[in-house]
Amino acid sequence: MNYAFLTVPDFALHALRRSDPSLAGRACALVSGDGRKARVTEASPEARAVAPGLAATLAMSRCPGIILCQRDPAAEAEAHRLIIAAGFTLAPRVESTGSGCCTVDLRGADRARTESLMRLHAAELAAAGLPLRVGAGATPLLASYAARLAEPVLIVDDTGNFLAPLSLAFAQPTREQEGILAGWGIVTLGALTAIPKAEIGRRLGASGVLLWERAAGEATRVLRHVEPARSFSAEWSYEPPVESVEPLFFKLRRFAERVALELRGAGFVAEKLSLTLLLEDETDHRREFRLPEPGADVEGWLRVMNGHLSTVRTEARVAAVRLVASPARPPEKQDGLFDTGLRDPALFWENIARVAAIVGDDRVGTPAMVDTHRPDAFTMERPAEAVAPALQAPVHPPCGPALRRFRPPWPVRVDCGAGVPELVRGRLDGTVRAVRGPWLAEGEWWRPEAWAVETWLVEMRSGGVYQLARTRGGWCVEGMLD
Amino acid sequence: MSAPSQTVSALRSLLAVRFPERARKAPCGVPAGVPALDDALGGGLPSGLLTELVSPVASGGGQTVVAGLLASTQASRQRVALIDGSDGFAPEAVPGDLLRHLVWVRCRSPEQAFAAADILVRDGNYAAVVLDLRGCAERALRRTPASTWYRLQRAAESGTVAFLVQTESPMVPAVPWRLVLGTPFSLADSDEPRADVAGRLAVRADRAHVQAPEEMAG
Repeated sequence: MNYAFLTVPDFALHALRRSDPSLAGRACALVSGDGRKARVTEASPEARAVAPGLAATLAMSRCPGIILCQRDPAAEAEAHRLIIAAGFTLAPRVESTGSGCCTVDLRGADRARTESLMRLHAAELAAAGLPLRVGAGATPLLASYAARLAEPVLIVDDTGNFLAPLSLAFAQPTREQEGILAGWGIVTLGALTAIPKAEIGRRLGASGVLLWERAAGEATRVLRHVEPARSFSAEWSYEPPVESVEPLFFKLRRFAERVALELRGAGFVAEKLSLTLLLEDETDHRREFRLPEPGADVEGWLRVMNGHLSTVRTEARVAAVRLVASPARPPEKQDGLFDTGLRDPALFWENIARVAAIVGDDRVGTPAMVDTHRPDAFTMERPAEAVAPALQAPVHPPCGPALRRFRPPWPVRVDCGAGVPELVRGRLDGTVRAVRGPWLAEGEWWRPEAWAVETWLVEMRSGGVYQLARTRGGWCVEGMLD
Repeated sequence: MSAPSQTVSALRSLLAVRFPERARKAPCGVPAGVPALDDALGGGLPSGLLTELVSPVASGGGQTVVAGLLASTQASRQRVALIDGSDGFAPEAVPGDLLRHLVWVRCRSPEQAFAAADILVRDGNYAAVVLDLRGCAERALRRTPASTWYRLQRAAESGTVAFLVQTESPMVPAVPWRLVLGTPFSLADSDEPRADVAGRLAVRADRAHVQAPEEMAG
């Protein structure tokens, strides 16, 4: 198993159906040519009694309701990139052999892993609307023969037994060669290769030798490798522009499937998604989604974008959509033996992302104190997947009721007697019954953002213990002991 | 026993037979770390149920309950989500160790808080979810349709999360448990160890619709 060949039968039709949701499950066919000369080139299984080569008018009469379409180069290019991306997940040496097919150099690859990957991608692409067939063999040609017979994966180990019953047409003889060989009673590859190559060369010349080599699967060639994707993006223009989210979701799903596969093939995951909607009035709507858990999970991406798009209202119709994934190396982690992990990590990170879409990326997470005495200084960090056991008890255990902050602080006027707050006016209003303080703190005096604060605790006659602060800006109520 | 009470008792028995799962959920839960609260609830915040904790007075102890819950869940290494409707949580008020299992959602409006709660209550990764609506405009909260609350209650009941809603006045319709913190702290309490302060909190059960299993069965 040195080479793999990935192909999609009736590629142009499948690519078109994959990009147009209105064709799903309906009888449709691709035609080439105009007017009466138009002929069917590919037909969907729903279009019974319609076969390639049939005149378009005849196809319409045989299958009423059939949708006849022209090829869509943009849809084919997008689908072809998906097949190439699938090839790169098998091995880094991939040739774009033709429209809707590619050849992969598998030499050195682990057979078991590669075979399971082939089956996985065949299933994934089938779910994405492309019934991928994968063949593998000793030469690129043999792999391509196998792909034509694969359901959906066929690996050829015994070349002779595999080729023997195949029709001579696999070796693509010329019409003249076909006639001569039929006269000799040769209709299969096995029958042809039973004759020594030299004898065929003596009778049919150099072209006969090449035919024999193709029939034996021996013909080999140098693959013209393509470069793996360096940017992970996709773009689509709508004609006419769209004004509902369904076409957007449909296209984003197709993009996500391809971009995620390209990332996986390159050994990356996405840490950030950037979505741009280009509007009809030549403005745009941009949104970045920072994924809490970098990954290449299509459903997870879609749910994150779905949460945002379902709330978006634009001034004009959407003329184009662009999706860009920022690559990152997959996170590596090893939890402790006794760590309490997440029951459902995927759901956990997905829900964090959904909440972040509601309140903002910087407003969800685990708080961590900053090493400073500045009041209310903390950062929001990514939540840990495992709840670690508590460290030793703190040297200074917390005292008193916990503080509950008012953000932003309430500005108040404070009347002092002998330097001590006695009366508070403003949102907090009343006389002070008891007071503690002041506690003085300052920091970063060597910087422009130097700060200094004088903190008091006051108990109001009307009830409640509050934390007052006096800064250069005046008095404010920072919070309440609660 | 009067005829109406007999009818109610019969109805409860019928419900206990019809919905045995709900009857099972009532007593077990997540300890809140505040003795009065745990005693009132029969061991802790009930899993799979919504509990409303009302703090009608200033310095009533609602934030101390949050700190207690963080301590108790850290001890049992469970995860907690705090959906902070008015962005009032002060991380410096609890030791850093007690923050590492916390997911804090800093909301700007009650609508954001409800939307976040709707998501996180359904997430099976949290032992407790706290929706703190204190400090939110009461008018906005009163406008919250009852269906929102019912939806949250059903979401809590479908899982195993202990769902605590903190309010300044009774807000949740048909809530299974409503507890009221009535005694405000004084300035003298600020010198006491927090465990002692939490131990002095007084809690009054204002509503307890969930029956003990033996009562339901009987």
